[in-house]
Amino acid sequence: MSLVHLIFRELRHHRANALLSALALTIAVALIVAVRLLTNAAERETRRVVRDLGFNLRILPRDVDPGEFWIRGHSDKTLPADAVQRLATGAGTFVSFNHLTPTLEGRIPLGGLEAILTGLGPSITGPGEKKQPMGFNIAVGKAYLGQTLANRLEAKTGKTLEVKGRPLTIERVLVESGSDDDMRLFTSLADAQAILGLPGRISEIKAIDCLCLTSEQDPLGQLRKELQRLLPEAQVLQMRTMADARARQRQSAEKYAAFAVPLVLWVSAGWVGVLAALNVRERRPELGLWRALGTGSLRIAGLFLGRAMLLGLVGAGVGYMAGTTVALHYGPEIFPVTARGLVAEPALLGWALLLTPAFAAIASFLPAMTAVVRDPAETLRAD
Amino acid sequence: MITCTDVVRNFATRPGAVAGLAGLSLDVAPGEFVVIQGPSGSGKSTLLLTLGGMLRPTSGRVTVAGQDLHSLTTSARTRFRATTLGFVFQLFHLVPYLTVRQNILAGLPRPDASGRARVAGLINELGLEERAGSLPGTLSAGERQRVALARALAKQPPLILADEPTGNLDPANAAGVFRRLDTYRRAGGTVLVVTHGPDAAPFASRVLRLEAGRITDVRSTAQVAL
Ligand SMILES: Nc1ncnc2c1ncn2[C@@H]1O[C@H](COP(=O)(O)OP(=O)(O)O)[C@@H](O)[C@H]1O
Ligand SMILES: [Mg+2]
Repeated sequence: MSLVHLIFRELRHHRANALLSALALTIAVALIVAVRLLTNAAERETRRVVRDLGFNLRILPRDVDPGEFWIRGHSDKTLPADAVQRLATGAGTFVSFNHLTPTLEGRIPLGGLEAILTGLGPSITGPGEKKQPMGFNIAVGKAYLGQTLANRLEAKTGKTLEVKGRPLTIERVLVESGSDDDMRLFTSLADAQAILGLPGRISEIKAIDCLCLTSEQDPLGQLRKELQRLLPEAQVLQMRTMADARARQRQSAEKYAAFAVPLVLWVSAGWVGVLAALNVRERRPELGLWRALGTGSLRIAGLFLGRAMLLGLVGAGVGYMAGTTVALHYGPEIFPVTARGLVAEPALLGWALLLTPAFAAIASFLPAMTAVVRDPAETLRAD
Repeated sequence: MITCTDVVRNFATRPGAVAGLAGLSLDVAPGEFVVIQGPSGSGKSTLLLTLGGMLRPTSGRVTVAGQDLHSLTTSARTRFRATTLGFVFQLFHLVPYLTVRQNILAGLPRPDASGRARVAGLINELGLEERAGSLPGTLSAGERQRVALARALAKQPPLILADEPTGNLDPANAAGVFRRLDTYRRAGGTVLVVTHGPDAAPFASRVLRLEAGRITDVRSTAQVAL
């Protein structure tokens, strides 16, 4: 009779033990699968929301007076354009800063009005970071127009606008933003440098932070320390509100996961181990018998470890489905913005099928080994 | 078939060492049906487990079927049990989740075609056809012991060791078990039965007495029968 056949018959016979063991494994797998799916969803959601929020860090020349900067909305001080490259190549940069976007700003007269000219260079993102379209990527000779400005100038997409003798094709008129963006003319960095007569200069680097620290952890202090090291001629201002809330939410979720997952693994391992020990205990006469029949230790170990692994396979399959079902059911409510990104991950099933039997075997190892080495004479002696 | 020389087996217990076997010597020739009688606690089970290579003697030599049992490696001893010994226990020791047929098949070291045929024959011979697909939990004591007997006989071992095989059976069933063991002996097997009751004696070619871990008295079949 094959080992697997034997194990199946035994599982069927000791149903309660088998079911409880499989349940422990199923719960563990389900929890891990659900946590994994929801953590990924939280990550996606955070990224997306942050992207929608826009940049929250402004890296300015050190000699800009923040008070004056906030009152005037911009400053005339500049940094060399290569500052962004220097920042990007610094070790640890992308932990603290990301989506580094060199920017040059200035007021210009335009059709009898005063407009804000903003030249945007290409963003530099951290390695491994998916290049997400963030901000604008404007080619030389093109321009995006704020809504109010476009109305005043009666400008339309496709028309050409001349700014200080440079022709710029209007590529897009932006929807009303309710901010000073409505009076902004966006161009490439090179065009802005030419128009403002500041070749090779930028007025700030816009960026976002990792959103991984809450205000109690003094993120700004850490950002300042980093920047002091990487780019001492600059200072950093952080727009805090939303990022703080996001970081807090994400951290608490991670804290729960970091606590709950190992706890559930330990509880489940203990549970499976105890059930395996009970199983071995109940089967001591059977063990003595296999010994007496001349069954090898390998096969006896296989009888018990194989049982654990088979239960592991069941736990993996059922747990994967349960975890996925739970995540797909509750996930979209919790993460509405990226709800559609939340889908089953079949790769997790593969991992579960691989790891759960191993986990169950390890949890059952000690009881199984006592079964193998136990003196069989005891149970056969019975008077 | 069996030679024991000055076999001692001590058990460590809290009050001190207890002797299960206290210098036991025994010779059993091939083709014998030896019954060892002894009261409870005299060392019967200890002797049988030692002969089966499942208990290591504290001192002394045990040779079974030409093998110095306890000088073999563990896996060689396991193989030896699988091929050479049949066991029958008082408590039957059937696997509760296997059917009657599967329990008997479990006695074969390799379930080849001739082994399977033998198992089918034993099921018929011992009147277990109706129960072949049943689990042991549903059988009577007599049926269970017949299953255990069939399991021991299936591999046609040169030696069968039985530990109070009829301790839980009524006289009719008990006699049936011993008759079958006698048939096996006539076909060339060797039987060693340990028991505290007298019911095996009529089938024995030799009856020995075990007391406090030692053989104390040797009687021939003729004397017992008279
Ligand atoms: N594992 C053990 N630990 C301690 N004492 C034991 C053990 N096994 C047997 N004994 C002792 O050895 C003696 C013989 O036991 P046993 O062979 O089971 O006797 P029997 O089968 O004749 O009733 C008894 O005194 C018993 O208490
Ligand atoms: Mg006994």
